[in-house]
Amino acid sequence: MLFQLTDRIVDYQPGRSIRARKLTSRAEPYWRESADDGPVMPPPLVLETLCQAGAWLVMLDTDVARRAALLSVSDTRFSGPVRPGDVLTVDATVESSSAERAVMSGVVRVDERTVLEASDVMCALVDTADLDDPAVTRRQLEALSGDLP
Amino acid sequence: MIGQLDAVRSLTPGVGGTAVRNVTSTAAIFATHFPRFPVLPGVLVIDDLTRLAALVLAGDGPAERWVPAAVARVRFRHYVRPGDVVELTVQARNDDPSRFQGSAVVDGTTVTTVGDLTMTRTTAPPGGQG
Repeated sequence: MLFQLTDRIVDYQPGRSIRARKLTSRAEPYWRESADDGPVMPPPLVLETLCQAGAWLVMLDTDVARRAALLSVSDTRFSGPVRPGDVLTVDATVESSSAERAVMSGVVRVDERTVLEASDVMCALVDTADLDDPAVTRRQLEALSGDLP
Repeated sequence: MIGQLDAVRSLTPGVGGTAVRNVTSTAAIFATHFPRFPVLPGVLVIDDLTRLAALVLAGDGPAERWVPAAVARVRFRHYVRPGDVVELTVQARNDDPSRFQGSAVVDGTTVTTVGDLTMTRTTAPPGGQG
């Protein structure tokens, strides 16, 4: 599958925070059968939605010059299942940042229900051009953030 | 690609286990992660370790019962690239067998460590077949 776990950027406060949206669909390939009632999204993929929102925040802040690569996570709590059809609201907040590093925290919700909380997610800020063609990355960002004022 | 251990090498119920994931260049995920620098997403290593921990906890029962509740002190020390054979290890704590330490090693180099993985048992709904 495409490893693009952000569908829309719905809010952005430069240098401070981002709110992204990840839709889930039964048509996606990652669902895992659970022992109780039906498929669930593997919890580490819910963490990835937060990491990718943080990466877009770094790209918005740096005009696509830099993006985030995961270095460490101090604490993550998975507090409930994500089911097919759920819409994830992903809030990432910058706790501190430098030229080389950023530390973020975040919450992922389905409606009012918190499904993940993470603190002290540390990322290295790497050159976007090392990972992908910056023109492609810029087009992706424009598509995701078209609704922003 | 997600949550697929290629081989379980050892499993001691309630104690620990080892498994292997082969990271092949054919994996579709590398088309987007990333076109100029294919690398296995770190969260998938976490997912592998939770799957292995679930097998350790399940014993003869269904591993699907066990899911991660929390993961703490995760360090990504090196990238995992196509062609890597990843050796995964989880070990339960003596004082709480639902909590694990985990690691991933490629060619003798530790690439990822998880200091504290807490698993929880989901409960079947009333009337379920669980």
